[in-house]
Amino acid sequence: MKKRLILLAALALAVAGLGLGAIGRGILPVPEVHLAPQKVFSVGGFAVTNTLLSAWLTSLVIALLFGLGTRRMAVVPGRLQGFLEFFIETLYGFVRGIAGERYAKPFFPILATIFIFVAFNAWMALLPIYPNVGFMGEKDGQAYVATHLFRSAGTDINMPLALAIISFLFFEVWGFRAHKAGYLREFFRFGNPIQTFIGLLELISHFIRVISFTFRLFGNMLAGEIVLFMMTFLTIFITPIIFYGLEILVGGVQALVFMGLTLVFAVSAVASHGGHGESHAAAEPR
Amino acid sequence: MRAVPLLAEEAASGIGALGIDWTSLLVYLVNFAVLGAILYFFAYKRILGMLDARSSRIRESLEEAERARRESQEQREAMERSLREGREAGQQALAEAREAAERYREQQAEQARAEAAQLLERAREEIRQERDAAVEQVRSEFGALAVSAAERIIRRSLDADAHRDLIDEALAERDAGAGRN
Repeated sequence: MKKRLILLAALALAVAGLGLGAIGRGILPVPEVHLAPQKVFSVGGFAVTNTLLSAWLTSLVIALLFGLGTRRMAVVPGRLQGFLEFFIETLYGFVRGIAGERYAKPFFPILATIFIFVAFNAWMALLPIYPNVGFMGEKDGQAYVATHLFRSAGTDINMPLALAIISFLFFEVWGFRAHKAGYLREFFRFGNPIQTFIGLLELISHFIRVISFTFRLFGNMLAGEIVLFMMTFLTIFITPIIFYGLEILVGGVQALVFMGLTLVFAVSAVASHGGHGESHAAAEPR
Repeated sequence: MRAVPLLAEEAASGIGALGIDWTSLLVYLVNFAVLGAILYFFAYKRILGMLDARSSRIRESLEEAERARRESQEQREAMERSLREGREAGQQALAEAREAAERYREQQAEQARAEAAQLLERAREEIRQERDAAVEQVRSEFGALAVSAAERIIRRSLDADAHRDLIDEALAERDAGAGRN
């Protein structure tokens, strides 16, 4: 009964907000959409943005969480150690399931860091300090947070781009480690025009991955932020909670997708690859 | 608080509006590397090491339990074997004891029978000797009596009454002699 009431209220508020106009108008300032991050302060000419601050805060929280949780490792774990072990073991199991025992250990640190960094950045951004703490401005005679102190690092294209570059370097380096110069034969296939064309497409597709990685994460994180702003402005109560729940899920899914794709590309790079009449056995990791 | 002016890139259009900044990109890369290193040394290494250690400990415990179970089974089997051997040895000893007892009983019975037969034989022998002695004695006494009677007959007149008296006297002497003996 309670659940139904909450759902009905959420629905009514959503309908009212979308159909009759924003309920938050006059109460909340009209949300602004910033594609680029906002500068909070400068250090020697370098602009420290709110997304960068957020990334540092997230990194600090992650480091503290794992540092405290693993400070005194015990055979019989406490709650935090048990949770962290469960978390890491689940991630490791996922990586091992796809990469196999041979590559799971060398692949794991980069992949797990990608997952943890992306997920925690997304989840941290749901904390109330993110939309509500910052530098005040005034618009139409109303005070509002003009520059947020923290903003999800995923909404700064530089972060997804940096991760995409790391991911790209990761699977390409592993491809070269596994097949050495033979890895290039995947892209440069001579003798047959069709094969040459396929090789060229393969080469382009590898670089396209950087772009797809970047914009997938950036788009999802930015869209999530905008949806939360808009739903809060439109309905103020109850309905945003549902979207907050959705964003928790989206953060985890995006982290998993980023890590999973990097893993699949890396496995594909180290695995035997043929296509132009020859195959190369995957080399032992060194 | 006053808001810090927005980034210049935000005013740009196209891809520039996204705010791609190479310095920020580099900082993110460095940030990721530092975070990765921290996580590697303080999380992955410790946690995966602990998981490995725990799984080897569990494996060792299981192996130890299996070893203990096997040893216990072996000991139980050995105990059952020795119990069975002991029982068999006991039964064998009992059978041997029974056999020896039977043999001894038979020996004793045989011996008793032999002794009894010997005693019987000896008794018979003694009876026979006694009888022979008695017969001999009777014979000798009767002879002497007869001789004595004959002497007396010869010494007296040989009438019928005297003859009868002599015989009666001789018989009475013999009975008196037998009663003394």
